[in-house]
Amino acid sequence: MDEDAAAGGISFFGVRHHGPGSASSLVRALDALRPVAVLIEGPSDASGILPMLAAPEMKPPVALLCYPEDDPAQTSFWPFAEFSPEYQATLWAARHGASVSFIDLPSTARAADPPGKADRAGGETPEEASGSAGEAPATPAGEVEDSPEFRDPVGVLAAAAGYQDGESWWADLIEQNPAPGPVFGAIAEAMAALREELAALPEFEARREAHMRLAIADARARLDGPIAVVCGAWHVPALRAARAKKEDRALIKGLPRKKSVMTWAPWTAPRLAFAQAYGAGVAAPGWCKHLWQTRQRHDGASLWLARIARLLRDKGHPVSTAALIEAERLAMALAAIRERPKPGFEELREAAVACLFGGETLLWRSIEDTLLLGDEVGEIPAGAPLAPLIEDLQRQQKQARLKPEALQRELALDLRSDSGRFRSTLLHRLAILGVEWGKPLDKGGSRGTFRERWMLAWEPEYAVQLVEKLVYGATLAQAANGWLAERLGQASALDELAELIRAAITADLPEAAARGLAVFEEKAALSSNAAEMLAAIPPLADIVRYGEARASDTGALNALLERLIVETAINLIHAARDLDAEAAEQMAARIAAAHAGVRLIEPDADILDAWHKGLGRVLDDARATPRVAGGVAQILYEAEILAAEDAVDLLGRRLSPGTPVLEAAGFLEGFFLASAARLIHDEGLRQAVDGWLLRLDEEDFVAHLPLLRRVFAGLDGMERKRLIAAALGKGPALPTGFIPAPDGGALWRTHLEILRALLTENSNG
Amino acid sequence: MSDLLRLPAEQSYAGELAALARGDDAGKPEGWKLSPRAVLTYLLGGEASDGTVISPKYVGRRRLMETAVATLATDRALLLLGVPGTAKSWVSEHLAAAITGDSTLLIQCTAGTDENQIRYGWNYAQLLAKGPSPEALVPTPLYRAMQDGKLCRLEELTRMGSDVQDTLITVLSEKMMPIAELNSAIYARRGFNVIATANNRDKGVNELSSALKRRFNVVVLPLPDDMEQEVAIVARRVNEMALGLALPVPRNAQEEIARVLTIFRELRSGATLDGKTTLKTPSGSLSTAEAIATLVGGLSQAAWFNDGRLTARELAASVVGAVIKDPVQDKAVLEEYLETVLKKRGPYSAWYAALNEAI
Repeated sequence: MDEDAAAGGISFFGVRHHGPGSASSLVRALDALRPVAVLIEGPSDASGILPMLAAPEMKPPVALLCYPEDDPAQTSFWPFAEFSPEYQATLWAARHGASVSFIDLPSTARAADPPGKADRAGGETPEEASGSAGEAPATPAGEVEDSPEFRDPVGVLAAAAGYQDGESWWADLIEQNPAPGPVFGAIAEAMAALREELAALPEFEARREAHMRLAIADARARLDGPIAVVCGAWHVPALRAARAKKEDRALIKGLPRKKSVMTWAPWTAPRLAFAQAYGAGVAAPGWCKHLWQTRQRHDGASLWLARIARLLRDKGHPVSTAALIEAERLAMALAAIRERPKPGFEELREAAVACLFGGETLLWRSIEDTLLLGDEVGEIPAGAPLAPLIEDLQRQQKQARLKPEALQRELALDLRSDSGRFRSTLLHRLAILGVEWGKPLDKGGSRGTFRERWMLAWEPEYAVQLVEKLVYGATLAQAANGWLAERLGQASALDELAELIRAAITADLPEAAARGLAVFEEKAALSSNAAEMLAAIPPLADIVRYGEARASDTGALNALLERLIVETAINLIHAARDLDAEAAEQMAARIAAAHAGVRLIEPDADILDAWHKGLGRVLDDARATPRVAGGVAQILYEAEILAAEDAVDLLGRRLSPGTPVLEAAGFLEGFFLASAARLIHDEGLRQAVDGWLLRLDEEDFVAHLPLLRRVFAGLDGMERKRLIAAALGKGPALPTGFIPAPDGGALWRTHLEILRALLTENSNG
Repeated sequence: MSDLLRLPAEQSYAGELAALARGDDAGKPEGWKLSPRAVLTYLLGGEASDGTVISPKYVGRRRLMETAVATLATDRALLLLGVPGTAKSWVSEHLAAAITGDSTLLIQCTAGTDENQIRYGWNYAQLLAKGPSPEALVPTPLYRAMQDGKLCRLEELTRMGSDVQDTLITVLSEKMMPIAELNSAIYARRGFNVIATANNRDKGVNELSSALKRRFNVVVLPLPDDMEQEVAIVARRVNEMALGLALPVPRNAQEEIARVLTIFRELRSGATLDGKTTLKTPSGSLSTAEAIATLVGGLSQAAWFNDGRLTARELAASVVGAVIKDPVQDKAVLEEYLETVLKKRGPYSAWYAALNEAI
């Protein structure tokens, strides 16, 4: 770096944020240069807590958080991974006793003038916007045009060279340029060329660069010896350029200032990825980590393939070692065809798909997330400044006028008032985060009402719970959203998902709710398991109804639920077949519960038609389990889809002599379990049942007594008397039951026998 | 001009191959006529060093072809998988033509293929006269490819029984084939390799044994990514076939092609075209080839029974036939699709009614 040394002993290292290739080149370059000070692109007012980054208790990925004192929702964060050049530079400085500091605009300026403020006005709540678009050092989303050159200039150079993965390009570049110095020189040249093509910088960017130039000059004036500047490659040409200090000072003059709070927070590997809407992230943190860890080795490709193989084996796909060898050979052949010095990410991926996955890209996708994102969670030292989540909680407690007290206290909330809703939302969000400060007293009881009752009691460990959840967001809303989103990703059963969606809607977390609905939609569409779908209908129907009490928009959910009902109706016929007694019982109960749910939401006529049609198909299906068919018949009868005469015909048919007794009994049970009282008033039904009972021989009759007892158990004493009277032909108006007619014939005596047996059994039971 | 109906690729494209070979000074694997990069240029189109225009043989993802060529360069066998109509055989023929200049060493695998057609057969007159001897042995294309260091093509690998497929295991892993009758063996010369094609969706084919699958690198050739592209392919083929069968093509055919393909693509991909709704996929492949057959069938019905008017009614029965391969599961899939997607889509109301009737 002779050229830089000439520029006053200042060496500029233009890195790729989170680029393991840059990081390892940087460490080697620092070893060669031995600077007395390392200046890093980052908020200058956070320099005070920067050395903490090198503390041994600090385990990346971690992030530097800065937020305006009064508004944590506007948090900016600067994540650091193990393979981030900035992190490695800090470690190097700590190891070698060099001073280390940040040189970018202070976070106060950023807090007062959050980049992209104008964009946010466009209908999003502040929570949503900053939850998804975190500002990274290089990416104040919105303020700067979102050009790829700016976001990842090294990636642009790589793409121009035909690479999909910027790291593979960097690796190949190093391969061809073994000394680290010339690499950074070459990158700086390329950046200068790239910047020339772009129009003038946005003002905020110009100010940042001016601030950095001044800070570098200041350090130069204070210190003797070589100085290293570590910044995004993009900035190098501007920082190296000679500019009058006066101009720079004028640029940053009058920057707004707003008091901001800074701290460290644990981070997760997946949140480093582009896919998580973090602009300056990388496509694949897992791959970057792998590159970093194998930087000293020559068998990186084999290790990467071995990791893929392990994931595949965990998923139950046998992968032989021989296949790994073939995959590596293919990767090398591909690299040769593409004229690259060694296989990179793309070659390894394509070789793995061809050799290990049988050409199936779907299979690759099934392990892609685990492989490329990873599941690491960072740790921060105990001495880090207070977490913003706790501050947010304190602020909201004040706003809700609820004090955290250890003593139990009951709280009744009226959800129609703003304050009631605010308090309820706060308690629900905390509950999602595992802080059960308030426990609902009427859980599941009165979801349809406008009232909620809670028992409040604060426990000190709740604060710890909150700090652990910091990785999901800096405010209660963000953290609850993030944490729910993660659980949604893990949930597999439809009813479990439905519960999580309910939690999201109750706690007013639209982002998690939307995510939940999307996940649910996909899972429900692919599921043919009618039992699972049936079980998901009641909680969802509940939310649709309950949503009205919270003024939340349940339109999407309603559409989803309607689709679920239609799909369930179509798949129901197969689920009702060939069930044993226990499964049939369960299925009938699920259908009844789902039916209640369908009625609860009062869907459009065509949805209701589809649902009834599905039920009707079960009823008409010769293979349907009789117990289920009976239950369905009863539902349709109650819904007046099945006309009274038809019901009588149906029962007559189902209970006719040709039907095996066991099946007839099952149907009878299904039909009358919930509606035995029908028998009192409906003569046609009664006669059909009566006829069947009379036809049973003694053995069968005795065998089915328990069933009959169960059917009639729902009747109270008075109803039983009236039923007997009706069965005896005295009409329902008879005031006292059971007066034997003196002229009772043979038929009458048979009735008497049967009913006596029935009733005595019943009263014994 | 040749009076042959169709020439093998190395003869039809002899000019392009010669032009590429002239300017090709890159390193070549042993037995190859062209370098791997030149083979790629031949497949994907471009320009030879002397300016000769090379026509593209495969329109699609470059990466897949790179993997295919790289596989053959490593002496690993290549398996091209895909549903019917994804140019598997076409790619295989052109790969063989470009790499060894001979695409004719071909074994068409069928349910009736036995080991003798894979390994070697016997000339029974010679066998009876002289007993087992090299003269009595009848080499197969695979045998000759091993002998000459060339590429052998196996078409529709999974159509032949698994036991016969397994004959290939020794050939692929040991690169030799024992001839027990002569107490000798044939060893493959450098340059020998196998390109197999197989269908991965159709029912009624034999499973590829996992022992054999391990010996192949697999490249799955996808259906066209792009709706426009697929509509164009189908429209061209349908017009050609209608011309051949002397069927009139009504003016609204283009519209119905787009609708049939929308239904096919949505069910095939398991999501609506707008990506908003997830769907179940039926067990059939719903390939481009099936869409063409469906439409030609519809045209025929329209021409003979509906005064040449093509409507959803003429097509519905064949669409249902293409979708429902499994009478229970696929029927539920189609019903769900009808009730949750097509029902709400205005322009498809005729389709909704016709399909509902045809189910």
